[in-house]
Amino acid sequence: MTAGLEDFRTGVRGWCEAHVPAGWRESQTGADDDEFVRFQKAWFAELHRAGFAVPHWPREWGGGMSVAEQIVLYQELAAHDAPRLVLAFVGIHHAAATLLAAGTDEQRRRHLPAILDGEIWAQGFSEPEAGSDLAGLRTTARREGDCYVVNGQKLWASGARHADWCLLLARTDPDAPKHHGISYFLLDMTTSGIEVRPIRNAIGESHFCEIFLNDVVIPAVGLVGPENAGWQVAQATLGAERGMTMLELAERLGNAGFYWLVQACARPDARGARPIDDARVRDQLARFETEIAGLRFLCRDLVENNDAGTAAAADASVVKLYYSELLQRMTDFGAEIGGLAAHTGLVKPMSSGWESGLWVLDFIGSWEWTIPGGTSEIQRTIIGERGLGLPREPGAT
Amino acid sequence: MAGRYADIHDELRSVAGDLLTKDRPARSEVAWPLLAQTGWIGLEAPESLGGAGATFEEVAIVLSEMGRAAARTSYLGGAVLGVGTLMSLQPGESRDALLQGVVSGAVRAAVALSGDHESAVVDVPFRVERTGGALHVHGRSSFVPDAADAGRLLLLADEPGGTPVVVGVAARAPRLSVTAQPVLDETRRLAAVAADGVPVEDSSMWRFDGDPRQRLRGLLDRACVAVACDSLGLGDAMLAATVSYAGLRRQFGRPIGSFQAVKHACADMAVQVSVARRLVRAAAAAVADGRPDATRAAAMAKSYACTAAVEVVGKAMQLHGGIGYTWESGIHVYLKRAALNRSLLGSPAAHRAQLALGYLARVDT
Repeated sequence: MTAGLEDFRTGVRGWCEAHVPAGWRESQTGADDDEFVRFQKAWFAELHRAGFAVPHWPREWGGGMSVAEQIVLYQELAAHDAPRLVLAFVGIHHAAATLLAAGTDEQRRRHLPAILDGEIWAQGFSEPEAGSDLAGLRTTARREGDCYVVNGQKLWASGARHADWCLLLARTDPDAPKHHGISYFLLDMTTSGIEVRPIRNAIGESHFCEIFLNDVVIPAVGLVGPENAGWQVAQATLGAERGMTMLELAERLGNAGFYWLVQACARPDARGARPIDDARVRDQLARFETEIAGLRFLCRDLVENNDAGTAAAADASVVKLYYSELLQRMTDFGAEIGGLAAHTGLVKPMSSGWESGLWVLDFIGSWEWTIPGGTSEIQRTIIGERGLGLPREPGAT
Repeated sequence: MAGRYADIHDELRSVAGDLLTKDRPARSEVAWPLLAQTGWIGLEAPESLGGAGATFEEVAIVLSEMGRAAARTSYLGGAVLGVGTLMSLQPGESRDALLQGVVSGAVRAAVALSGDHESAVVDVPFRVERTGGALHVHGRSSFVPDAADAGRLLLLADEPGGTPVVVGVAARAPRLSVTAQPVLDETRRLAAVAADGVPVEDSSMWRFDGDPRQRLRGLLDRACVAVACDSLGLGDAMLAATVSYAGLRRQFGRPIGSFQAVKHACADMAVQVSVARRLVRAAAAAVADGRPDATRAAAMAKSYACTAAVEVVGKAMQLHGGIGYTWESGIHVYLKRAALNRSLLGSPAAHRAQLALGYLARVDT
């Protein structure tokens, strides 16, 4: 590790000590929606003032950190138990990656600075009849003059209730083969005809939403990339975005998640016995630490290869699949180790990570990784077909 | 610094792959003189002694290719451990001459690294005693890689004062026995070495360059990563073979690879190989640089890659169906070698137990 990087780490460490809000877990436990949104926006603004909000963006737009620096930043944030950026997530990752790769100059100038000022984004991709078969989506966008008129229903749009804008996939050519009739839009969530309804998830939170779109008008300037090339735009940007998000999550798993798991194993039970004194428990911890090390290397490779344009077609799927299932196995282990006491943690603090240390909730919440964003089964199919070149399922379209 | 020769890695990989597989009867011995000609034996040795002045990272690439081919060679004992051991000693006339001899291919060496070659921690299997003015070495070591073919055995021994040293003895020395130990994996040759008062010349007892315990640990780390590289190659080869077979073999009127049950199993194999590759690469770099975290990196690479290889090769046998279980298919060769690698130089559980020592220390302070 170079001296420059160590200086950077010292700087980040000092910043974390001064700025990570004390007692945020307590104040965010059971926090209502308004308090959650206020807290998320304040934390984002704090990170932005320090230059830590969008380290992965290009320098000209306010980022420009090297991959090595980003890793250090995420390590220190995790080690200081910093809150996660939940609300800004889609904006700084998915929206930004899409705009940078396929947006017009005007779209970038309109939205990238706004995201830094706190503009919140949601993603309207899935539909009731288009889950794993996303390209089967039915929401339509009909061209009328210099506008599109959108009708349909979106599902699993995380944070849509608080979103100012939405990334939207809609069908513009119903007669084309399904992957060639979809367009990619930027939708202003204040437009009339939009109704958002929260869906309560398995751990009782309601950040997922349904979006009902009834004659919603999007100006043609809201189209990203060519008409009917929306599927290709989404495919091209999602892989790049995946690496960036995983870099942070892998460092969280390594620095916060694993640390808390070891702590959980050191907690004596009612009879004073500590799980960590059992060699089988230590063996499992060592397995996890080894796998986390592997995950971190893969994430770093993915980001660097994306930057260099050398990432292979299924690299992002390998990382997503591996992270999801490792998270699930680790939280499962935490839940088992935690015993009945782990079942008394009834509410997870808002703004916490996927491994909050409330292991049973974390375990149940881990399906939010193995299902959305392409289920583990879909990722395996992508790895098999695009990564390894195995033949497609006959009849699958 | 690791990565110094990264630009030649692809070429080295491709040359090694070709040499180990093309125009060779499957799994025939890669003759020692041929290995000497390739320059792989002395990759890490200084150019002044006939070596290439490269690093363990390049050795790691050759090792992975040998795994990929399930090659029958004495590279592990003769080069990786032989040269590695000699390079960890204080330079001097007799050491330099032996190193030069090994690098040129003239001398075949093997190293008795531990008592059983099954432990994840350092144990010094031999001891040197001084009786009168003469030195004699005693002790025994089992499963020594490539010892049966060696002309010169390097024994890790405690000298009379208790400091670990390396003793060189001729394979035919009196009161030394080297007994081949057949194992199921026919691509590796292991032997038991017993010394019952073998005379040692003063000029054939060498001191480590630097802290002997650290050097011993470094040798064990190197050996573990070498085996992990081999397992990585085994797994990668069987993944490729399985993907290829699943694309060709048809049942129910379609290639079996189009069935999700097969495709997803291949995807899982690919993920395991990817993780193993990254852990192995990181460990090889740590060993090449002699970094303090090399022992942890080696334990991770050894435990993960050797476990993964058995699973991946086992899945390869399964997905090849009946043909995969035949002697002719050769998959059994990979499975036996993967299983041997898993046990050699410390089981995955033994390495994880070493990793876990840190957790107890962390929570007990």
